[in-house]
Amino acid sequence: MSETHATPVSEQDADQATGQTTPGETNEQVQAEWLEYEFQGDAKVSATDVNVHYGDDHALHDISMDIPEHSVTALIGPSGCGKSTFLRCLNRMNDRIKSARVDGSVELDGMEIYQDGVNLVELRKRVGMVFQAPNPFPKSIRDNISYGPRKHGEIETGLVSRLLGRDDQEQEDELVERTLRQAALWDEVKDRLDDNALGLSGGQQQRLCIARALATDPEVLLMDEPASALDPIATSKIEDLIEELAEDYTVIVVTHNMQQAARISDQTAVFLTGGHLVEYGDTEQIFENPESQRVEDYITGKFG
Amino acid sequence: MSTISDRVQIGTGRPSVVSAALAMTIAATVLAFLVVPGLTVYPLVAFMVVAAYGWYAHQEETARSLMFVMTASTVLILALITVYLVVKSIPAFRIMGVDIVLKTNGPFWNPREKLYALFPMIWGTLITTLIAICIAAPLGVAGALFISEIAPRWARELLKPAVEMLAGIPSIVYGFIGFVIINPYMMNELSVSTFGSLIAVGIVIGVMALPTVVSVAEDAIASVPGPMKDGSLALGATNWQTMTDVTIPAAFSGVTAAVLLGVGRAIGETMAATVILGHAQVLPEPLYNVFGNTETLTSLIASQYGIASGSQLSALFAAGVVLFVTVLVISIASQRIEARMKQKLGGEV
Amino acid sequence: MAVDSTPTNDLVQEGTGRLQTIGYVLQAVALLVLVASFALLFEVVDAQSLVAGQSVLTWMGLGFGVLGLGFVAVAGLSRADLVESTPIKSAGVGAGIVYALIGFVVVGLVSSQTLGLQTLWVIPAILAGGLVFLGAVYPREDIGSTLPAAGFMVFAGTTFLTGTIGLDWTWQPIPNGAVFDASMALIVTGFFGGLLGAWTAARAGNGFGSRGRQSGAYLLVSVNAVAMAALLFALVTFVAVRGWAPMTRGIKTGIFWEPVYWFYFQPIQEYVIFQIPGLWFYWPFTMEGAALMNDINGVAPAIIGTFWLVVGAILFAVPLGVGAAVFLTEYAEQGRFTQLVEISTNGLWSTPSIVYGLFGLALLVPRLGNSNSILTGMLVLGFMLLPLVVITSRESLKSVPDEYRDASAALGVSQWQTIKSVVLPAAMPGVITGVILGVGRIAGETAPILLVTGGSPFPSTGADIFDPRFAFTGQFPWVSLNIVNVDPLLQPSSALPYQLYAVISAGLSENLSFAWGTALVLLLVVLGFYAIGIASRAYFRRKLQA
Repeated sequence: MSETHATPVSEQDADQATGQTTPGETNEQVQAEWLEYEFQGDAKVSATDVNVHYGDDHALHDISMDIPEHSVTALIGPSGCGKSTFLRCLNRMNDRIKSARVDGSVELDGMEIYQDGVNLVELRKRVGMVFQAPNPFPKSIRDNISYGPRKHGEIETGLVSRLLGRDDQEQEDELVERTLRQAALWDEVKDRLDDNALGLSGGQQQRLCIARALATDPEVLLMDEPASALDPIATSKIEDLIEELAEDYTVIVVTHNMQQAARISDQTAVFLTGGHLVEYGDTEQIFENPESQRVEDYITGKFG
Repeated sequence: MSTISDRVQIGTGRPSVVSAALAMTIAATVLAFLVVPGLTVYPLVAFMVVAAYGWYAHQEETARSLMFVMTASTVLILALITVYLVVKSIPAFRIMGVDIVLKTNGPFWNPREKLYALFPMIWGTLITTLIAICIAAPLGVAGALFISEIAPRWARELLKPAVEMLAGIPSIVYGFIGFVIINPYMMNELSVSTFGSLIAVGIVIGVMALPTVVSVAEDAIASVPGPMKDGSLALGATNWQTMTDVTIPAAFSGVTAAVLLGVGRAIGETMAATVILGHAQVLPEPLYNVFGNTETLTSLIASQYGIASGSQLSALFAAGVVLFVTVLVISIASQRIEARMKQKLGGEV
Repeated sequence: MAVDSTPTNDLVQEGTGRLQTIGYVLQAVALLVLVASFALLFEVVDAQSLVAGQSVLTWMGLGFGVLGLGFVAVAGLSRADLVESTPIKSAGVGAGIVYALIGFVVVGLVSSQTLGLQTLWVIPAILAGGLVFLGAVYPREDIGSTLPAAGFMVFAGTTFLTGTIGLDWTWQPIPNGAVFDASMALIVTGFFGGLLGAWTAARAGNGFGSRGRQSGAYLLVSVNAVAMAALLFALVTFVAVRGWAPMTRGIKTGIFWEPVYWFYFQPIQEYVIFQIPGLWFYWPFTMEGAALMNDINGVAPAIIGTFWLVVGAILFAVPLGVGAAVFLTEYAEQGRFTQLVEISTNGLWSTPSIVYGLFGLALLVPRLGNSNSILTGMLVLGFMLLPLVVITSRESLKSVPDEYRDASAALGVSQWQTIKSVVLPAAMPGVITGVILGVGRIAGETAPILLVTGGSPFPSTGADIFDPRFAFTGQFPWVSLNIVNVDPLLQPSSALPYQLYAVISAGLSENLSFAWGTALVLLLVVLGFYAIGIASRAYFRRKLQA
C-alpha cells in the first residue's frame, strides 16, 4: 500500500469553507485546501494543470493529480462538475468533440500524450475505456471481444489466413475465454459466443464491454459510471470485478455513488461544481477525515 | 393523436350526417368523372354546397372529414393509376400473351404486323440500370460517408446543397448534354458504330441517380448512435475502421434502401434515355455489348406515343405496366428494409 | 505464426516526418498523372502535345517510373527500419484482391494482344492474379502493399515510354463495340494508375497499419467528393457558357420620354410638352415566341406554359397534400389505413414520370376535351407533386413540439382550432420549403408534358390565360369584368423542358444555339427554385435553433 504524508491545512481555510462554490473563490484558495497525495513508485498517469474549454464554457480548472499503478482511483462529485470530462482527457476521447480545447499536460508512464506525433491508436490500446451505458456492437459476443485486437492487426482469421498458414483462431478463442473469465461473464455465455451481443441483459452487456476493453491488453482502465445503468445485483458484480482488476491494471472509476467509491477505491478525488478538483487522497482519509470543509459537507450530504 | 375535445363531440347525431353527405357527394363526383364525365359538375356542386354548410355549422367535424377524404385520395390515385394502366394494356396482352415479355428472338417490334415483344427494351433497361448502379452505388455511399463522417463542417455545408442541386438538374438537360457531347465523342474517339449507346445512357443515369443514393445513405449513416462509434474509437480503432466495421454494418439496411431507391430512379429515367439512344428495337449483338444501341422501356414509350394508336398504344401501356410494377415492388422492398433497420437499432433512429 | 512478428509500436513516434514527406511527394505525382489523364479525356491536351519540352506521354511515363521507384524505395526503407512505420502482418485481403485484379487484367491483356492467345489468355491471367495476390498478402504489409504497385507502375511506365503501345495500336474488347486506341489506353492507365499510386502513397506515407489504411481510404473518398462537386460545377458552367450568348442576344434597354402634360403656348405658336423618363427593357429570348417575322426567336410561350402548369399543380397538390399530412399526423391512429396510405404515398413518389404521363393520357385526356391541354398537364404535375408535399408536410408537422398542442388543448381549444391557429402556422416554413423543392422538380419534368400537354414545337404565343379586361357595357349589369380566360386551359401548350426536347427532335443543325439558350433558361429556373428552397430551409432551421 502507499504511504500518505499529510500536509496540515491552516485554520483559516477551514473557516472559509462553505457548502457551495463561492463566486470569486480563486483557484489558489481551492487548491490550498488539498492534501498533497504522495505514494511510492512512479505515477502511472499524471495530470498537471489540465484545463478544458467547451467553446466558451470553462469546464475544468487546473486539475493536477498523480495516479499510482495497480490501484483503483475513484472520481466523485455532483453531476456536471467535470469528472467524465477529466476521464476523457486521459485517453484523448475529448478530441472527438469539436468544440473542446484541452490545455495542460497528461503523462502516461512519463510520456506526454498531448504532444505531436502521439499515436492515438497505440494510446487507446494502452488506456481502455468502459462507458456509462453499455454499448456493445451489433455483432456476436466473440466478435465484440476480438474487435480491438483485429483492428490492431494482431488477430487474423479466415480462409486466406488459413491458406497462408497463419490463422489465429486459437489465439482468438483463448483471448475470448480469458477476458470473459476476467469479466466474470464466461460461465453465463460460454455456450453462445456466436449470439448477437444485443441479446444480453444490461448487466451482461456491461461486463461484455469490460471484457472487450480488457482484450486489447491495456495498462489503464477508465470506467465512466460503469454501474449507473444497472440493477443492484449487477452493480455489486461489477464492483467485485473492479477490485479484482486492480491487481493487474490501473483502474480509474467515475461514480456519483459515494458509498460505492468508499467501498472499492484506494484513492478518491473529489470534484466540485465548476470543474474544480477540491481534494485528492487516500479513500479512508477522505471519507473519515477530509481536510477540506467543502468536501466534508459534500460527503455528509449537505449538498450535491 | 385524438384529443379529449374530439371525443366529446361524438354522440351528437347531426354531425355524422354532414360527414356522410360529404363522403357520398365526393364519391359520386369521382364516379361521375370516371364513368359519365359530362355529369361530373352536379355532384361536385353538391359536394361544395355540403362542404360550405358543414364549414359554417360544424367546422370541427367537417374539417376532419375533408382531411380524411384528402388522405384517401392518395390511395385512390395510386389505385386509379394501376387500374387504368392495366386496363389500357389488356389488348396488347391479348394479342401477344406472355410472349410480350418472354419472346427472346427477333424480330421484336413491328406495329404493322401487331408484333409487340418488350424483351429488347427490358434488356436495355436492365443494362443501363446495371451500369448506372455500378456508378451510383459505390460512389454514392462513399460520398455519403464523406459528408457525414469525414468532411469538416465548411465542406459539409458546401457539399450537401451541391449534391441536392445535382439532383435538380432536369433529365432533359442531361439528355441534351449526352446527345451533343457524349454521343459524338463515342463515335469519333471510340469508333462506336451507332449514334447512341447503352453505356452512354448508363453513365448519364448513374450521375442522375447518384444524389439520391448520397442523400438517403447519408441519413442512414448519420442515424447510427454516437456511443457505438465512441466505443470503437476507445478500443483504438481508427475513424475509418469504425466506419467500415461499425457504422456501415449498423446502417446497412438504410444504405441498401438508398441503393434500391437509386435503382428505382434509374429504371424510371425517361428523357435522357430517349434523347441519347437511337430508336431501334433490337437486341445488341453480342448480348453484353454495352456499346450497342437499343431502346429502354421508358424511351420506347416517350418516342412512340405520338405515332401510336390502337394496339400499338396498348403495347406502350403494357411497357408502362412493367415499369410501374417493377418500381412499386422496389419501393415497397426498400420501405420494409428501412422499417427493419429502425427496429434493429432499438428504435433509436 | 507470421513470418515476422508485429513490431511493438511506440506511443510517441519520431521520424514520421521523413516517411510522410516521401508519401506526400508520391501522392502529388500520382494525382498529377490522374489530372493528366482527365486532361487527355476532355481533349484539353493531346498525348503528343508538348509541355515544358516533353510530350504529355513522356511526362506520364516518367510519372509512372517515379512512382514505381518510389514505392520500392519506401518498401526498402521501412523494412530496414530506417523510417518509422507501423505496418501490420499483412496488407490485407482487400488490397490483395485489388492487386490481383490488376495482375489479372495486365497479364490477360498481354497474353491476348501481344501473345495472341485467343481464349487461353485466361490461364496465364488467373495464374498471374493468384501470384500477385500471394505476393501482396503473405509478406509484411510494408512490402506487400508497395511492391505489387511498384511492379504495375514500372510496367506501365516502360510500356508507354518505349512505345510498345504505339500509334497504331487498337483493341476492340467487345465485338461490334468500341475500339480503344493508344490515346484511350493512356487515359485509362493514367486514371487507374494515378488512383492506385495515390492510394498506395497515402498508405505508405502514414506508416501503414490502420492509420495508413485510413489515409488511403480518406484519399479515395475525398477524390470522389471533389469529383462530384467538380462535376456539378462543370455541368452548370458548360450549359451556362454555351447558352449565355443565345439567351442574351438582342437585349436592349433604353430610356424613353413620356409626355404627361402639354399645352399650346400662343406667343411662340408651339406646344409645350412636359415629359418624364421611363425605362423599357426588351429581352427577346424570354419575351418572344418563334415566328418567321422575328429577328430573334424566343421561348416566351414555353415560360408562360411552365408558369401556368406550376401554378395549377400547386393549387391542386398543396391543399390536398397538406390536408392529408394533417390528417395522418393529427387525427389518424396507426393502423391498416395509415400503413396503406404510407405505401401509396411512397409508391407514388417513386413512380416514373412517364407512367404519370400514360395515366394522364388514359384517364384525363379523354375526359377533358380529348386533346392535349394545359389543364391535364396541371393535374398530372399535381399528381406528381402530391406525394412530395405529403412527405415534407408530415415531417414538418411531426417536428412541431407536442407542448404546443397540449398547451392549446389545456386551454379548452378544440383540435381543429389548435391545428389551424397553432400547429399549421408553426409547420408552415417546412411546408413551404417542401413545396418549393417539389416545384423545382416538376418544373423540370418533360415526360408527362410530352404526353398530355405538348403542342406545336415552336409556338409563337403563349397561353393567354390571365387576361384582365374591364369595360362598360350598354346593358345590365353595365360592366363586364374578365380576369381569366378558360379556353386556353383546354389547349395544348409548350413548356420549358418540352421546348428543349422539341428542339432536339426537330434537328439541331440549325437550332443548336437556340437549344443551348433554352437549356440555360430551364436550368436557371429549376436551379433557382432549388436554391431558394435550400436557402429557405437553412434559414428556417437557423431561426428554430436560435
